[in-house]
Amino acid sequence: MLLDIYDPKAPPKPIGIDLGTTNSIVAHVRDGRPVALTTCDGTALLPSIVYYGDHGAVVVGASARSYATRAPTRTIASVKRFVGRGMDDPQIRLLGAYRFVEPASAEAARTVRFDVGERSVSPVEVSADILRSLKKSAEDQLKAIGGVVITVPAYFDDAQRQATKDAGRLAGLEVLRLLNEPTAAALAYGLETRSNGLFAVFDLGGGTFDITILVLDDGVFQVRSTGGDSALGGDDMDRLIADRILVAMGFAAAGVSAGGGEAVDAPPAEVVSLALESARRVKHALTEVTESLLELPRRGGGTAEFRLTRDELDALILPLLERTGRACRRALRDAGVEPSAIDGVILVGGSTRMPRVRSYVQEIFGQEPLGDIDPDLVVACGAAVQAALLVNQSDEVLLLDVLPLSLGVETMGGGVDRVLPRNTTIPAGAKSVFTTFADDQTGFEIHVVQGERELAQDCRSLARFTLKGIPPMSAGMARLEVHFYVDENNLLAVRAVELTTGIEQKIEVVPSYGLTDEQIEDMLIDAIDHGDEDLEARRLADGRVEGQRILLATDKALATDPDLLATEERAAVDRAAAALREAIAGARKASTIQGAIAELDRATHDWAGRRMDRAMKAAIAGKRLGDVAAEVQGAAGVDAHVAAHEIARAGRPPPGGS
Amino acid sequence: MADAFDTLELQPEYDLDLGAVEALHRELSRTLHPDRHAGKPAAERRAALSRAIEVNEAWRALRDPVRRAEVLLTRHGVPVGENREPVGDPALLMEMMEQREALAEARAARDLPAVRRLATEMRARDAAVQSALALGFVEFMGATSGATVDPAVRRDELLRKLGELRYVRRFLEEVGEIEDLLG
Repeated sequence: MLLDIYDPKAPPKPIGIDLGTTNSIVAHVRDGRPVALTTCDGTALLPSIVYYGDHGAVVVGASARSYATRAPTRTIASVKRFVGRGMDDPQIRLLGAYRFVEPASAEAARTVRFDVGERSVSPVEVSADILRSLKKSAEDQLKAIGGVVITVPAYFDDAQRQATKDAGRLAGLEVLRLLNEPTAAALAYGLETRSNGLFAVFDLGGGTFDITILVLDDGVFQVRSTGGDSALGGDDMDRLIADRILVAMGFAAAGVSAGGGEAVDAPPAEVVSLALESARRVKHALTEVTESLLELPRRGGGTAEFRLTRDELDALILPLLERTGRACRRALRDAGVEPSAIDGVILVGGSTRMPRVRSYVQEIFGQEPLGDIDPDLVVACGAAVQAALLVNQSDEVLLLDVLPLSLGVETMGGGVDRVLPRNTTIPAGAKSVFTTFADDQTGFEIHVVQGERELAQDCRSLARFTLKGIPPMSAGMARLEVHFYVDENNLLAVRAVELTTGIEQKIEVVPSYGLTDEQIEDMLIDAIDHGDEDLEARRLADGRVEGQRILLATDKALATDPDLLATEERAAVDRAAAALREAIAGARKASTIQGAIAELDRATHDWAGRRMDRAMKAAIAGKRLGDVAAEVQGAAGVDAHVAAHEIARAGRPPPGGS
Repeated sequence: MADAFDTLELQPEYDLDLGAVEALHRELSRTLHPDRHAGKPAAERRAALSRAIEVNEAWRALRDPVRRAEVLLTRHGVPVGENREPVGDPALLMEMMEQREALAEARAARDLPAVRRLATEMRARDAAVQSALALGFVEFMGATSGATVDPAVRRDELLRKLGELRYVRRFLEEVGEIEDLLG
């Protein structure tokens, strides 16, 4: 869905967005280098906080933070921890000043909703509000913006990714790609420093932790393994400190009690909010000094003193760090490497500023982490680079990422039949065959789960669907083939076919947590006061642009691979192309253009396959030739590599500049 | 149907130069990866995506010593998969059970050095079984093209070795999990 009006005079500029738990950043590539743009707060970092006021007022960023203690339940911070999660998630019960909407049904309980006074909002909507603010800042500075690459934690599961993409679409952005945060960081670092070798990216943010082991090899960024915890970060440290602060203020330690007030001695939301905010300040202070002293209001009047030393903080957070250590060891094992083989450790995320985090990383990898990287900005910069690469169709950089969590299907006994293991290179596909277990069974329920645990109930439930209409057969006769596809964004699609009858069903994994296209559209119409007509006008303009692009690509293909088309096929392609040209020139409705695009798509389907086979064969033949040449040439290959790199760097800036 | 060797246009052999296959996989990824086809017509993106998936799957199968053996056997019409192969050698079964018990004990005692000792032994065995498989496949493929030894004998020997490799690999997987926990 491309919702920006095309302006031929100012080519839209691609942007990258790091949608963080604590801060969000938007960046773009200017003169060949990624730079972070100034947000509405006047700085690069926009606090990921949204305040919902009366009469639909929405405030994002630092100004929203000032409402946190005054109107805690109307101020949503760290929304990323709730993205793609249901009311049954343990996140809900952690200390926080949120007021959740009591779900009316099991269906409603699949998505968290925050009660913000006048209305309620979902994590997708809150995320969209943050993205909208970033989009506006980018538009103010770049005029027209094009597609966007949004980063997500590598360890995000399918539901969390789907929800992030939905938030982007809801904000009116054309989401080119979801990119894993550690991979984005490696991309920015690797291209800037022209490094080659084996790297570890240790990314500890406000709410998520990722560890990624990857190889950098002349523009190839190949992820070997990834691991982490999508609910582990600086927020958890804040909560541990806040617990102590609450005790000092005269409240019982909150522990796991929610801010909602159902526990007997639960502190009010305002107090929880104050404790969390103070905890954050103490934590930050202890990065510079070794002791921090705070004065706080005491319950029942007077003031309370709260003192914390760096040593105490270090001891407090050690259990959290040990969780990162386990994930690091597993990632190293999955990659098949020893810590000593790592050439450099890249630190990402604000929490890696803490001295104890740095020393812990050093203990695990046996080396000092690299020091010349801004842990706050590097992810957004990588996203901006990737956006520019995608739009410019550069072929000097290749990102090969992996599936972070195994995908499987629940078996009869409640176990999991693993279909795609974690750390499989994406895009990936696999199939699994199941048989009926009862005579005359006409339906088959498939439960798709994601995770490493043995039992399906302990994994993340992604989708449940039933394949119906199987003709009655004796048990074990009907055979069901389930295909899984994971695309480059790590998003899943499932297709099931009953083999004896050929009954097929395509499963949208979306509706379980995410939103359908229609829902997004409805919300867009509501959100941006444009109404139906305006949306149709935009769609028509977008359709024209898309159609032109496809015609251009088709002409190019006709020039290079005309021999792969049979005479009657060629005639069909020419007819469909002419029809599309006509539709672009004269159509009044977007659907007419889309129909012509679909027709040309059908006419070129088989041909596209043959062209891709030819490209594959050429790549294989080229590789063989290259191997022979490399043996003969010896040292000359190094120069060629360097030269190729120069081209890669020169090719990166987008046209136009700003 | 095209198998992993066909997809990558490689000679069907057990003893592969994995470094060269990885380089080939990268080269093909440069051509096929969806990022290369962003903004192109849907037909082209679909064609590239399905081939990228095939190439990734082929590389995943070939770099795994168990799956590589399975692909080769399937190529020669030998059914593979744990329910379709003959039941393993009882002596091997017994030995593996003992090894796993020793591992479970070391785990319970949180005795990391003992776990590592067991792992070292098993890694040596892993290498030995893979060498044996490489040799076995050369002989088997020679035998199928009309040599003196009965191909069925060679085949059964290969299947036994494959069964052993499965045990060894599963054992090493468990070692890894224990190391993450105790390390």
